Amino acid sequence: MEKLDLILNINNKPMDVRITPNDTLLEVLRDHLDFTGSKESCGEGVCGSCTVQLDGKPVRSCLTLALEAEGCNVKTVEGLADGDKLSPLQESFVNHGAVQCGFCTPGMLMTADALLQQNSNPDEDTIRKALSGNICRCTGYAKIVEAVAHTAHPDDQCPECASGIKSCCKTKE
Amino acid sequence: MRLPQFNYTGPDTLEKALDLLSAHAQDAKILAGGTDLLVRMKKGLIAPKFLISLKALNELSYIKKDKNAIRIGARTCLADIIASDLVQKEATALSTACEKVGSATIQHFRGTIGGNILQDNRCFHYNQSAFHRSGRQACHKDGGKICYARDESDRCNSTCQSDGATALMALGAKLVLVSKANERTVALTDFYTTDGIMPFAMEPQELLKEIVIPVEGGKSSYQRLAYRSAIDYPIVCAGVLLKASAKKDTIDDARIVVGAMGRSPLFLNQESSSLKGKLFTDTAAFQKAADSSMNSAATFAVHNVGATLEYRCAMVSEMVFRALQEAAAAASKA
Amino acid sequence: MTDYNIIGTRMPRVDSRAKVMGKAKFTADLKLPHMLVGKIKRSPYAHARIISIDASKALALPGVRSVVTGKDTEGVKWGVFAYTRDQQFLQTDKARYIGDEVAAVAAVDEETAAKALDLIDVTYEELPAVYDPMAAMASETELIHAEFPNNINIHVNIDTGNVDENFAKAHYIREDTFTAPEESYFQAEPYAVVARFDSDDCLEVWCPNGGPHMKSKPLSNSFKIPLHKVKIRRIAIGGAFGGRSEICPADYICALLAKKTGCPVKIQFTREENTIGTRQGHSMITTHKTGVDKEGRVLARETTCYMDGGAYSSTGPIATSVPFLSMEQAYRMGSVRYNGYRVYTNKPIRGMIRTHGRGFAAGLDTQLDMIAEHLGIDPVEMRLRNSRQPGEYTSTKSLVSSCAMDETIHKAVEKSGWKEKWGKLPPFHGIGIGTNSVQTGFPMGIRGGSQSFIKFNEDGEATVMSGVVDNGQGNENMLVQIAAEELGLLPEDIHLVNADTETTSSDPGSYSQVSTFVGGQAVKNAAANCKEKLFEVASKILKVPADALAAKNRMIFVKDAPEKCVPLKKVVRVALTNFISVNAEGGYWPKVDMKREWVSNPYGQMCEAFSFGTTIIEVKVDPQTGQVTVLNCVACQDVGKALNPLVLEGQFEGSVAMGGQGGMLTEYHEWKEGRCLNPTMLDYKLPLACDMPPIHNIIVESIEPKGPYGAKEAAMSIAMSAAQAYAGAVSNAIGVYMDSFPLTPDKILAAIKKIK
Repeated sequence: MEKLDLILNINNKPMDVRITPNDTLLEVLRDHLDFTGSKESCGEGVCGSCTVQLDGKPVRSCLTLALEAEGCNVKTVEGLADGDKLSPLQESFVNHGAVQCGFCTPGMLMTADALLQQNSNPDEDTIRKALSGNICRCTGYAKIVEAVAHTAHPDDQCPECASGIKSCCKTKE
Repeated sequence: MRLPQFNYTGPDTLEKALDLLSAHAQDAKILAGGTDLLVRMKKGLIAPKFLISLKALNELSYIKKDKNAIRIGARTCLADIIASDLVQKEATALSTACEKVGSATIQHFRGTIGGNILQDNRCFHYNQSAFHRSGRQACHKDGGKICYARDESDRCNSTCQSDGATALMALGAKLVLVSKANERTVALTDFYTTDGIMPFAMEPQELLKEIVIPVEGGKSSYQRLAYRSAIDYPIVCAGVLLKASAKKDTIDDARIVVGAMGRSPLFLNQESSSLKGKLFTDTAAFQKAADSSMNSAATFAVHNVGATLEYRCAMVSEMVFRALQEAAAAASKA
Repeated sequence: MTDYNIIGTRMPRVDSRAKVMGKAKFTADLKLPHMLVGKIKRSPYAHARIISIDASKALALPGVRSVVTGKDTEGVKWGVFAYTRDQQFLQTDKARYIGDEVAAVAAVDEETAAKALDLIDVTYEELPAVYDPMAAMASETELIHAEFPNNINIHVNIDTGNVDENFAKAHYIREDTFTAPEESYFQAEPYAVVARFDSDDCLEVWCPNGGPHMKSKPLSNSFKIPLHKVKIRRIAIGGAFGGRSEICPADYICALLAKKTGCPVKIQFTREENTIGTRQGHSMITTHKTGVDKEGRVLARETTCYMDGGAYSSTGPIATSVPFLSMEQAYRMGSVRYNGYRVYTNKPIRGMIRTHGRGFAAGLDTQLDMIAEHLGIDPVEMRLRNSRQPGEYTSTKSLVSSCAMDETIHKAVEKSGWKEKWGKLPPFHGIGIGTNSVQTGFPMGIRGGSQSFIKFNEDGEATVMSGVVDNGQGNENMLVQIAAEELGLLPEDIHLVNADTETTSSDPGSYSQVSTFVGGQAVKNAAANCKEKLFEVASKILKVPADALAAKNRMIFVKDAPEKCVPLKKVVRVALTNFISVNAEGGYWPKVDMKREWVSNPYGQMCEAFSFGTTIIEVKVDPQTGQVTVLNCVACQDVGKALNPLVLEGQFEGSVAMGGQGGMLTEYHEWKEGRCLNPTMLDYKLPLACDMPPIHNIIVESIEPKGPYGAKEAAMSIAMSAAQAYAGAVSNAIGVYMDSFPLTPDKILAAIKKIK
């Protein structure tokens, strides 16, 4: 099979890859570039675990040919944080207990991040609808929805804010 | 899951795409969003040697209105159609149908309307892995001579589960198909074969270029049932279009289409004409047409897309009735 | 109320940062030098004799490094119990279900491995197959396992005596049969395993597991190598729900390929393989016969359950017992007789699942509602009259120490507005209640207990070693919280080394709700032993007796005079310079009746604690389509003690999704002659964000005297009671008691039409 050289722009960095046409974006991210944050769970575009953003839009990387991502800005879960500093959405996922096994988390974050870029003020129904293409088997979605809502509306009270989140850690200061 | 090997081309003009299609015809498949095609390739259901990507063909992505039709480029993504006020207002059924495809923020950016119409028929005995399909005879659609969904059936009974096609057929849409040598317009009602193996009356070198939706002041509705709120194909769906008479109180023309019940969306001529001249408030007539739709559609359906056959048949009536009511309510308001 | 510093706080999980950054490594993320891709050749026949296997073509394919078949194995049959050893990891004589492992290949890449699988030529002789437990028992064709007559794998018989006499005394008797098909785990992470033999000939394995020590022993047996040479490593795990408890044939196969090739091998399951090639939930046909007195108190009950066990035993004896045990814990019964049959069929193997026995439990509660209606009693009252009380013994003679079942009922009733709603809701609007009880940790032979070691680093931070594994539920955070609380440190001072068989001691594994109760308690005991040593040293520094000291926030201080204190770090350094060890170990073994056995002697103390949960669900049913909209959910559980309410709520919510929303409305498998028609996430309907109702969590703390800080288990009794409540709510909405689960729209509509 013919090999093709490609430059993919991933998390604002150009990356050289040598691929075959049947390589999916997910395979190239995971196997060639070691961005293993994006996960394969169903492999057929159903579960959303492999969600990345192409030019700000969430897409299934398991059903996107790597070739088709050429010329796009690919953003993966590894591109959310600024170095060690988590994005507000990531921070909110941590603080609201939105992460259990964590396997669906990267895809969930990429979908939610795209939603928040597009709509800074989503209500709960909008959030649920936006997340309806991402399957989570652990959480029942409640805490994920809370975490996204809290990112959009950081001043709204939630149990975590009320209890002074990370109280057990603050004592060290 | 690996994709099988293929050659990829991404022509940047329609002309080049048609040249390629003409050259590779039987061996090539058009890649739009990939949400249907790539899954079938991963399962080993098809193994095209060439994929001709529409990625660079921005010329096939548009929604525009001319005198009495909405024209939608085949590569237009579902998200754009959902966002279109024009479609929402003049072709409500299509807007609703697109919203129901896949899931809101993910598939809508890659899923295209052309891909939705041309999504292959499905059957839970066929849309399975190569492993699942081994150890037993191949079914009709898989190159064999047996149907697992209907005993003794001499042909494939796969089901068309396209939301878009059902809505579009109700809207009286036409498809513009182009090939290197030819361009033709075909009514969606005439676009289907009666063969589940290759459900579309389309030549291998043809490409779906455009969808034309006549806009003649009718009101439409699309209703569907699935087992969950998203990422689900319909187990039964219905699209209807109602046009008002000059006096606005009666139905001048009606189109009832039932989907996910047969090899193609089913335009129900008799049930449609039964509503002509009826008042928009004549729910008894709606119910009668809906019940009759159920009987007509039931003969086509087999148990092959989940739920039970009895249930899906019973729900034809309900979906048609609801669609009629919604369209009537909209028409009487207009 | 004890004043804890870290226990009981809403502490964000220690593992979540790595997970939101995409840095947490799951098995499939691993890459090792020279790693090969392994793939398993599975039987496409439900029941077939293996006549021959010809791998020559596959071996000739460039890039193929090894092909293994049953001939490469020692032919040992594996089983969780001595009397259930029925499964080879690669079949030598016959395949017993579509998906049974017959061969495997290791190749340089996935494409080559897949091609090679197709080139392995297996000749089978097809045998008659059975797909239904009733048919399997009656079948006269070749047995699935020759040693098990009538294809009956396990028969559990429990009889407390006086059943027939008590039925004779009953005021009202009902007998009803309830059915539910198979459900599946659908863990987010498809099964994967990486194995290699290292430079010291040690087998190193990474895989999702419900307990690393449960994997190492069978691997040690299979390869005939000492246990210390099998190193199961800690790795992030994407969900278990009971489905990762035992050894998976792929673990052995992967290791065998690694051994043959001298290279690391990775096997990654497809979604379909994860569904058919790991475990599923049992389908069950359950008949409950219940006799009550005039007040609705259960005098006698006889339950008979037929479970479709699939092709092999798995955790069969446990699976056959647990639905009954949950029932006998939740409800008092004057007398009871249980006959549970787990029957072999030519279908995928069934194991324990979070909602194990959904039809059994929902059937029982449905029948209670039927009896309540007959007697004119409110369903809530019906449950209160039969609910388990603290200090009682279950029918099979387990003492229930702590029990706040009634409180969970009262609180859920109040929050849900039951009294204003029951019998007063508009048509096709319904409310239902479910109550359940789950055992907190039962021992599994020598791996029933857990041990922990804690060592101090010279900077005053502690390394905690524990065999407890985290499947996603937050066990690691639980251990860190306990260690920090007990040692007087902060969570960030705790370095956890866990779930690694090389460095951690035996542990029962993360199932049967044992992790906190046993594993957590072991860490607590180890930490207490550390603290005793630290206090000895500190008492010399502070010149007070050791028992006058306490530790908190990295300080050791005098309880009555907190200003007299010394940093813990300093105590550690003083200890080190004086050659005093402050490291310690601790362990915990559940105090149970070791003579109790699942089949041969199902009586006696089976575990130390029991949790109790109540769920109330409110639904609206569309009478035209039978579709259900869930309007509200109240989930209330007696957890003993909430170590971390944030984590606990997440468990409640996930339990409602899996047990109720999915388990009772949409999740089931469809089959065609042993072929699973819906093995994928598209066709198997897991609930989505839009499908879920608002969930109100209520935590009840009964403070179990034997549990760590009083803790029992988190949310298993919600998963089960949610199933029961969903069933009750739908039945209430449509006015028909449903007996076939899950409650899909077709069944609901048919029921509505029937009464019309």
